[in-house]
Amino acid sequence: MKFLLPLLAVALVLVLVGAGWNQKSIKPEPGCLRINLGTEPPSLDWSVTVDNYSFDVIANLMVGLTQYRNNLTCKPSVASSWDVLDDGKRYVFHLRKDVLWSDGKPVTAHDFVYAWRRMLTPATAAQNSFLFYDVINAYEFNSGKLKDFQQVGIKALDDYTLEVKLRRPVAYFINITALSPAFPLRQDIVEGFADSWSEPEHIVTNGPFLLTKWQHEYKIELTANQRFFEGEPKLKKIKYFMVPEPSTALALYENGELDFIDNRSFPTPDVERYRTSPMYHNYPLLRNNYVGFNVTKKPFDNKLVRQAFSSAIDRDVFPKILRRKEFPSSCWIPPSLMGYDANSGPNFDAARAQKLLADAGFPDGKGLPPITLLYPQREDVRLVVEAMQDQLKRNLHVNVELINQEWKVFLATCRNDAPQMYRSSWGADFPDPETFMSNFTSRNGNNHTRWKNKTYDDLVERAGGEPNQAKRAALYKEADTLLCKEESPLICTYLASQNILVRPWVRGLEFNAMDLQFFKTVWIEDSSPLSFRGFSRGICRGSSKFESIKLNAVKSRQIPRIARNDKGCRISQRSY
Amino acid sequence: MLLLILKRIVWAIPVLFIVATISFGLMRIVPGGPFDEEKSLPPEIIANIKAKYHLDKPIPEQYIIYMSRLVKGDMGVSYKYVNRTVNDILGDAFPVSLQLGLLGLALAIVIGVPLGTIAAVNRGSKLDFLSMLVATVGISIPGFVTGALLILVFGLWLKLAPVALWESFRHMLLPALTLSLSPAAYLARLTRASVLEVMEKDYVRTARSKGLSSSKTIVKHVLRNALVPVLTVLGPLTAIIITGSFVVEYMYAIPGMGRFFITAVSNRDYDLIMATTLVFAVLLVIANTIVDVLYTVLDPRMQVKG
Repeated sequence: MKFLLPLLAVALVLVLVGAGWNQKSIKPEPGCLRINLGTEPPSLDWSVTVDNYSFDVIANLMVGLTQYRNNLTCKPSVASSWDVLDDGKRYVFHLRKDVLWSDGKPVTAHDFVYAWRRMLTPATAAQNSFLFYDVINAYEFNSGKLKDFQQVGIKALDDYTLEVKLRRPVAYFINITALSPAFPLRQDIVEGFADSWSEPEHIVTNGPFLLTKWQHEYKIELTANQRFFEGEPKLKKIKYFMVPEPSTALALYENGELDFIDNRSFPTPDVERYRTSPMYHNYPLLRNNYVGFNVTKKPFDNKLVRQAFSSAIDRDVFPKILRRKEFPSSCWIPPSLMGYDANSGPNFDAARAQKLLADAGFPDGKGLPPITLLYPQREDVRLVVEAMQDQLKRNLHVNVELINQEWKVFLATCRNDAPQMYRSSWGADFPDPETFMSNFTSRNGNNHTRWKNKTYDDLVERAGGEPNQAKRAALYKEADTLLCKEESPLICTYLASQNILVRPWVRGLEFNAMDLQFFKTVWIEDSSPLSFRGFSRGICRGSSKFESIKLNAVKSRQIPRIARNDKGCRISQRSY
Repeated sequence: MLLLILKRIVWAIPVLFIVATISFGLMRIVPGGPFDEEKSLPPEIIANIKAKYHLDKPIPEQYIIYMSRLVKGDMGVSYKYVNRTVNDILGDAFPVSLQLGLLGLALAIVIGVPLGTIAAVNRGSKLDFLSMLVATVGISIPGFVTGALLILVFGLWLKLAPVALWESFRHMLLPALTLSLSPAAYLARLTRASVLEVMEKDYVRTARSKGLSSSKTIVKHVLRNALVPVLTVLGPLTAIIITGSFVVEYMYAIPGMGRFFITAVSNRDYDLIMATTLVFAVLLVIANTIVDVLYTVLDPRMQVKG
């Protein structure tokens, strides 16, 4: 009996040794890209899904009338060209005849009409249908006021010609046609297989890859589509794992079981560790973070107080505490979108902030009512609001109480009765300033500040319909200045960034600020004479001569090219 | 025995009804709904969504709709995972948790019971001290720490086991070990106390005085009786362990149902919350019934009378 414990220990070790003895050195899986999606995509039904996990997969399964380039301008895709008619109120799309569904049938204009009809049908309950409300009668049909879809402004003129009529000129409309709710659908498939139509055994797609396996909550596998009209992709397979814990995903990457990880799988302390690695890349995302004021509550009904608070914040502190190369910004339109001007927002000026507060009748913060700042429970958000609390104390002598709530409770609070200050963020739906600027118009449901300004509303409305790009940019710039510098219903803080690690054998990968991950141009360099074992540790720690030699060898190879053009933004980014 | 099982089944019905009702009520009290997201939707779209999921109806009516579906075995639809029913989701996830849980449970018993017995038999010795030290450490260290340590040591440093994922049997080893450590430690402490108590009994002394060897005495006389209290905790422990562990499944990226106990709540995925709660309650009833049956096997005096 007394030997039982050691025997058990030995047996356990033997089992583990036996199980793990065949662990290989770090190397690629030929023709296969292995990445971490982080979690289960809620749906691959592209008409209804709204989250970026689903979009990451769908972006490689489907193409629409247009397609984003990595610089996030739109290029022709299923539509080879289009005419903009009637002062921008009518679009006629000419479809290619060589675009096929994965079962070999051609993609026609009728597939688009069906998709849009289904998406706008009230019973479908598609959350993104509001993006199409500028199409004639789309709102009326979606809200159940109109039953006849024939009266909605989308029509197949023939098999390969699609007409869309708008109720007003919409300068950014072409961007909408690249979004997933605008993608075509096959009526026979959707109606034939009901709720299971998007499962691998039924789904038909028209993009570069095919959905071949979906183990829910675990893994999705895509394989190259030989029928893709742009040509078969070089990658044979993509494996999306759903590893929710970032440190585990990073461990898998370090063990050579993942080729690519991003923010979802990259804990901040490890970003520091990999900062100098050639595998590390960073680029800004078009997700702007801010603290809003409820302007119906004192003291923020006074714009001088709002301006004082906004001027008292030094935005440069945020990248230092968050350590992911965030981009400090005091204006609402992100850089690289039209209308951006760094001077649209207030500069950090503590003396001016104190004067503004005194002018508002609160010298040194005396006489101010108790102020609360609400934020959702999350570690990085806590760091941000604590830094703001500290700066307001030091620069304005104002005490701000911080209150946190669970995410859904936080959302409900902001929606029902936002406190004096609340922390929030916004990721763009499509690459245009409209998606940011419309948030603070008087009737927008996302405007929890309750700030209403007719001049601002008019500027945004005019910009949305202005066909001249220079004039549009000027209108948005004027609106941004009014929002951030003159009226200040919000304090813009910083733009989020994407941090990724990519194995050196992954080639042809390009990134964009919208964080759309298109893999049709990617390939795996799998005939490498180089052993990559220990590669990651070597370059990060650089602790031995041997590792340095390997590092130099790797450096001499082609490192994935990074597209630094950061124009654009991510569709419906996850809430942060 | 049959009567006992029938009795338990009859009792389970009102228990499950009460569990379902309380869970339903609690979910509706918590602020925030399944479709509250960062981006506010126009009221027309919210109305469409609510109509689709019957959330536009008064809460008593929602309750009746839910319960009438439930009695037919339909646990509803997920609000988070579009086009998937809760039956589908749990149908995929539960077998994974069951597989992992059974291995974890087996490991817990294989480690815990001998460890406790060794400690009791060698009471006061270094072996006892060492066994109980291991057991105390096992109870004290939470799963996310042991899991991370096992990944670091066996996965990253020694490369003896996969870091995570759910591809083959060897991928089950580290998660099962992580899952088993805390219950094993608990079982060890319980077994030790129970064995010590039984070893003081007259019949054990009699067995020894008759010349029975120490090992035979322990296996035949001590353990058989000492395991009764261990069985008592094995009932709820089994239900807990086979419905999955959020920490272990999250950490090792295992597609089990443990994660839904947390994520369904944070997503306000009402039907999924109800389903996980009910599945857990059903398994608890089943496990406790099995334990009661096993009592009678171990100790015929414990036959339950009609």
